[in-house]
Amino acid sequence: MLDLCHWLETTAVGIVVRESLYGFPILVGLHIMGLIVSVGVVLWFDLRLLGLALTGVPPSGVYRRLMPWAAAGFVLMAITGGLLFVGYASTAYENVFFRIKLAAMLLAALNAVVYHRVTQRSGDTWDAPSHMPAGARVAGAASLLLWTIVIVSGRMMAYTMY
Amino acid sequence: MMPWLDAVQTSALAQAIGNSRWATAVLSSLHLVGFTLLMGSTLISNLRLLGAVLPDRPIDEVTRPAARAAWIALALSAATGSLLFVPRASGAVANPTFQLKMLLLATAVGVQALALPRVAHSPLQPAAARVTGAAGLVLWLGLALAGCAFILFE
Repeated sequence: MLDLCHWLETTAVGIVVRESLYGFPILVGLHIMGLIVSVGVVLWFDLRLLGLALTGVPPSGVYRRLMPWAAAGFVLMAITGGLLFVGYASTAYENVFFRIKLAAMLLAALNAVVYHRVTQRSGDTWDAPSHMPAGARVAGAASLLLWTIVIVSGRMMAYTMY
Repeated sequence: MMPWLDAVQTSALAQAIGNSRWATAVLSSLHLVGFTLLMGSTLISNLRLLGAVLPDRPIDEVTRPAARAAWIALALSAATGSLLFVPRASGAVANPTFQLKMLLLATAVGVQALALPRVAHSPLQPAAARVTGAAGLVLWLGLALAGCAFILFE
């Protein structure tokens, strides 16, 4: 795995990310903007699942209206994050906060899949009321917790990667 | 520069934070958590004013919970931001990016506190709501960009 990381750093993309004067700050800036938009919007769907906000709208309605904005942020975050990783792959791979961040992201993705495959399938019986079933509330709380861990560990990387 | 800035920067609190890499890292992390919540709240609020999200719901059904979350998030961001400011007070005040950041923050909070409640409660003013939403969007996104520039070029 570490060999793969070293190879990534020697690719043309890796060298450009690492050595261009403004490449790194621009990528980090866009990465944070993508994070703010995606997580900032997703958290309102999580709050809806918890029954804490927008309770007048069915969760599926909130999802449909908000997800295009969150998806745009996610795409920006994934592209810039991927490019940053290529430039600093081996240092990132050996960084404990990068590993925590990756694990939290995988769990957040798993949480979303479980919500859509299992919890939402029984949605027609509870889509309207403001009192949410336990499964939906757990999914919302897990998403909020996991994305907070992603943000914190991502910011910690800036202080621990050299 | 200004004597009170020197006093702030040489205080025991400033030394404690400035000498601890971990304190700075943890404060920066919490600052970003608070800021993400702040941006998420102002984002859906302003997008609703523009009619871009949940246009079929009353404006204040979206802006009221968003404002509540925004004030909590602002408190967290401001508290952690102040602690991060203390050890670098004079450098930050002299930094144009930091000055721009504070100017945008003050203006954005002003729009949030003064203009938003007025347009949120008057559904008959869609144009005023749209102008407020556009101004808010530009100010908060500008603040985020200035914040990124400040941490990257300090």
